[in-house]
Amino acid sequence: MTFVSFFSQFISGISVGLVLFLIAAGLSLIFGTMRVLNLAHGTFFMVGSFLCFAFSSLFANSSGSFWWALLFAPIGVALIGGILEVLLLRRIYNQDMLYQYILTFALILILGDGLKYFFGVSFKTIEVPWPLGGSVSFWGMSFPIYNLFLIVCGIAIFIFMLALMRYTKLGRIVRAVTLNRDMANALGINVPLVYTGVFMLGCYLAGLAGALMPPMSVVALGADMHVIIECFIIVVIGGLGSLSGAFIGAVILGFLNSFGILVMPKLAVAFPFMLMIFILIVRPHGLMGKPE
Amino acid sequence: MKKRFVSSVLALIAVLCLGVTVHAAEKKPIVIGHIHSMSGALSMYGISSEAGGSIAIEEINAAGGILGRPLKMITRDDKANPEVGLREAKDLVISENADFLTGTVSSAVGMAVSSFAKKEKIIFMPSNAQSSRMTEDEFHPYIFRIATNSVVYWGYAPAIALANTKKVKKIISLGWEYETGKTALKQFKEKYLEMVPDAQIIDELWAPLGTTDYTAYINKIKNSGADAFYLAAVYGGGELAFTKQADSFGLYDQMLAIQPCAGDIESWYTVTKGGPFPKAALATTRYPFWAIDNPRSKVFVEKYKNKVGQYPSYGAMNHYNTIYALKAGIEKAGAVDTEKIIKALEGLTLDTLIGKVQIRAYDHQAMMPTWYGTMDYAEGLPFPHVVKVTPIGEEGYHTIEQIKKLRESK
Repeated sequence: MTFVSFFSQFISGISVGLVLFLIAAGLSLIFGTMRVLNLAHGTFFMVGSFLCFAFSSLFANSSGSFWWALLFAPIGVALIGGILEVLLLRRIYNQDMLYQYILTFALILILGDGLKYFFGVSFKTIEVPWPLGGSVSFWGMSFPIYNLFLIVCGIAIFIFMLALMRYTKLGRIVRAVTLNRDMANALGINVPLVYTGVFMLGCYLAGLAGALMPPMSVVALGADMHVIIECFIIVVIGGLGSLSGAFIGAVILGFLNSFGILVMPKLAVAFPFMLMIFILIVRPHGLMGKPE
Repeated sequence: MKKRFVSSVLALIAVLCLGVTVHAAEKKPIVIGHIHSMSGALSMYGISSEAGGSIAIEEINAAGGILGRPLKMITRDDKANPEVGLREAKDLVISENADFLTGTVSSAVGMAVSSFAKKEKIIFMPSNAQSSRMTEDEFHPYIFRIATNSVVYWGYAPAIALANTKKVKKIISLGWEYETGKTALKQFKEKYLEMVPDAQIIDELWAPLGTTDYTAYINKIKNSGADAFYLAAVYGGGELAFTKQADSFGLYDQMLAIQPCAGDIESWYTVTKGGPFPKAALATTRYPFWAIDNPRSKVFVEKYKNKVGQYPSYGAMNHYNTIYALKAGIEKAGAVDTEKIIKALEGLTLDTLIGKVQIRAYDHQAMMPTWYGTMDYAEGLPFPHVVKVTPIGEEGYHTIEQIKKLRESK
C-alpha cells in the first residue's frame, strides 16, 4: 500500500467523518446541557437533507440554488426542533429517562412518515454546486473538491463552536446551565429559554450536516437509522457532552471505517463497535468526557 | 285457477332469473390477483406494474375479453413483506375468487406466494421478482415467469456481455452483502470464467445492504490494479450514490465499469445532463424501448406515458406481456381451467412487445432476452441509458442440465 493510497483513504474517511461530527456535536451539546438523549437526532439530519432538496428545487431557476438551500434548510430544521421542544420535550424533562427515549423514538417515526408524505418514497439527488465541482490532483491521486470543502467546513464549525462556548456570553450561559441548572436559574438565567435555544442549535447542526451531505450522496428515507448509530459510537468514544470529544470521535470513526475496509474488510463493519465497547469498559466517560 | 296463475307466474319469473344468471355467468370476469409493493421504497415497481397490466387489460376488454369474458385486475399491497403478501394472496383467492395471481418484486414475497400457489393449485406468474429459485429448485407446475430471472439479470448477461466486448483479465467486485448480492457474483464468476478462463476476480468487496457512502470502497478499487469493477446487486439510490462518488474520484476514467442495474432507467430519472452518471459503463437492460422497432411496443410506450407521466420500466412491460400470455394460454386451452392452461403454456411461443419468445417447458421460464450496451446520453431521452444494444437470449439462462442438477441436489 503506497503512501498515496494511504493518504487518499485517510482524506476520504475524514471528509465523511466530519459531516458526522456536525450531527454528533449537536447530539452531544443537547445531552450535555439538557441531559436529553435525542434518539431522533439522525432524523433531524434526514429532514435537513430533504429540506435542502426542497429549497434547491424552489430556487432551481437561480444560480447558486444549493447555497440558498444550505442557508435555509438548517434554519428550517432548527425551527421544527424548537417547536417540538416547546410543545413536547419540555413536558418530559422532569420524568424518567425512559420517557425521553419513547418520545424521541416516536419522533423518529412521525418525522420519517411526515417526510414520506410530503416528498414520496423515491430517492432525490442534488448536484455538486458551483464552484465546488471537479477534483484536484496531487501526488498522483485525484480528490473531489467537494470532499475537501466538507473537511474545511467541519474544522471551521468546530473552531467556531469552541470559541462560542468558551469566549462569548452566550457560551458562558450555556455552560452555567450545564454545570448547575438550579444555580443558574437562581441567578436569573431563563433556563427554559436556554434549553430551547440549545435544542435549536443542536438541530441546526444536524440540519446543516443534512444539507451538506446530498451532493456527494443521495437523499433517501432510512438514512437516519444509519446515522444515529454512527453518532452514538462517536459520542461514546469521544465523551457525551464534550465538543472536542465529538470531533476526535468523528475523526477516529472516519479513520476506522476507511482503514477497516482497506485492511480487514470482513471485520470492517465491526471495528467501530469494538472500539466503542473497549472504551465503555476502560474509560466509560469517553476520551474527553468528565466522569460523572 | 288463482293458484295455477300464481304458480305459472312464479315459474316464469324463475326461468327469467335462471336466464339472467346464465347470462351473468357468461359475463363473469376473469379475476387477476395482482400482489405488489404499492407503498414503501419499492412502490415505483408496483405502480409501474399495475399501470402496465391495466393497459393490457383495457386493450383486451375493448376487443371483447377472453372467451367472451372481461378481465378484472385487483391490486393488493404486499408492503415488501412475505406475511402480508401471503395474507393478500389468500384473501384474493378466497374473497375475490382470483383465477390467477401475478406481481411481486421482492423475491421473499414471490417465494411465499409461490408456495401458496402450489398448495392452492392456482397459476402464479411473478412479473418482477427475479429469484431463479422459483423456477429452478423451488419449481412447481403452477408457476410461470414471463420476465427475466436473477441468473440472467445479475450474472450471466453481464458476463456474456463482457466476454463479447472487452474480455478484461482482472476484475474487482463490490456488492451488497445479502443473498442476492452473493449469488449475483457467484453466477457472474461462473459464466465469465467459463468464457474467459484466464481472467480472475482479484478481490471481492462487500458493503452492507443499502449503503450510501462508498468513498472507502472506491479508494480501494482505485488502488487495486484491476482493469474493471463489477457491481453485485447494487441498485437504485445506492447505485446512484456510488456513481456520484465514483465519478467525483475519477473512477470511470480509470477503469471499465460493469454495472448490470444501470440499464434500469428508474435510477437515472433525476440525473441531468452534465451530472454524474456511469460513463461508458457496460450495462444490461430488459426493456430498451428506444431501440425496439416493434409497433406494439411504441404504442405501449405512448399509452404508458399518457397514463403515468413517465417512461415505462421493464416491470410494466413484464406485466403487460404476462397478461397477454395468460390470454394466449386460456384461448389455446379453450377454458379457464388451470391444468389445461398449464399444458397450453408449456412450450408456447408468445407474441410479446419485444418479439416472439418461447416459454421453456422444463422450468416454465419464458426465454425473455436481455440487452447489453454502454451507458451514454443519446437523442430522444433526457436521461442516460444503454446505447448500441445487443440482445442475449436463451444463452443467458441456466441450461436444463444445470437446473436438473440443482433440483436433484435439493
